[in-house]
Amino acid sequence: MGLLNYLTATSMDEDYEHVSRVRSTRSGASMGTPGRVAVVVLAAFGVLVATAGLQTARSADITANSHDELVKQVITRKAQLSDRRDLVDSLESEVRTLRSVQIDAAVADRAVQSRLASLGVEAGALPTVGPGITIEVDNGPASDDKAEILDVDLQRMVNGLWEVGAEAISINGQRLTALTAVRTAGSSVTVNLQRISPPYTLSVIGDPGTLPSDFIDTPGGQWWLDLRSLYGVRFEINVPDERVTLPAAARLVLRYAHIPDEEVTPR
Amino acid sequence: MIAVLGLVLGVLLGLVLQPDVPIGLQPYLPIAVVAALDAVFGALRAFLDGIFDDKVFVVSFVSNVLIAALIVYLGDQLGVGGQLTTGVIVVLGIRIFSNVAAIRRHLFHA
Repeated sequence: MGLLNYLTATSMDEDYEHVSRVRSTRSGASMGTPGRVAVVVLAAFGVLVATAGLQTARSADITANSHDELVKQVITRKAQLSDRRDLVDSLESEVRTLRSVQIDAAVADRAVQSRLASLGVEAGALPTVGPGITIEVDNGPASDDKAEILDVDLQRMVNGLWEVGAEAISINGQRLTALTAVRTAGSSVTVNLQRISPPYTLSVIGDPGTLPSDFIDTPGGQWWLDLRSLYGVRFEINVPDERVTLPAAARLVLRYAHIPDEEVTPR
Repeated sequence: MIAVLGLVLGVLLGLVLQPDVPIGLQPYLPIAVVAALDAVFGALRAFLDGIFDDKVFVVSFVSNVLIAALIVYLGDQLGVGGQLTTGVIVVLGIRIFSNVAAIRRHLFHA
């Protein structure tokens, strides 16, 4: 409270009293009326007050202006933001569409690939590996002319194998296709127009569990059993442990093609 | 009377000329005005007491303004400008109130 009391007690400059005391002791000169200097100082005070007021008003204007400007900017940016959000949404849906299109295409691609693979196995266009059997045949004793294996014998065997569900066959490394002929030319047998000589090894892809017994039941199998028992030719069916490997056919000529009925979209 | 004329003239001058305050001095203008107000009310009270003196008024006016601005400047440099401004305003405000109370007693004899 001391400070407050002091403040209120000395609110007027003590100098006034001091100077008035000094003056009164010296002379009773003119006192208590403001002179020219005081008027000038008061005018300066007026200028000061006016300037401060104007300044405050002006900066209030500036503040209001900048506030308006900021509000305007906020509105603009908000609109921009919502535009961008819409853009993001549309792009996202586009991405989803494209992704599903891509997935569809990949599925179709895989379907075509697997179809190509299975067709390639059947047509002999692709080298093929799978479970299967091997059959080894050879001429009988050389003294017996009738113990020689002919093209007809191999044809019957191959036909019998096709009949019981063989998926692919090769004779001495010659892959059989739909257009392969097994024929005698001169003194030897040709497959795919390639000369082969005994012993003949047939590699067959199919079910190793059922193929041998099913084949024996076919006319071809019976034929070969007869050949073996009558002329002593070699006829052995083996079920190897490892998978059977068949080469692709030497050459496949495209003889027939047509445009598919359904529309094919190029990629 | 001539003093009031000087005050009015000063205000009109300020309004007409609209002097630009340098950016660096702008924060000190309001506090300077309050300090000057204190000096003016002190002078008015002295005038009514019959002990007014030109020299004392001028010195107190100028020193009030300068010291107030200096204190605020110092506070700004020390990072307590706002608090010091508040302190100066409080002290000057109390002085102005008590001066005005004395003036009122003089004018209304109450």
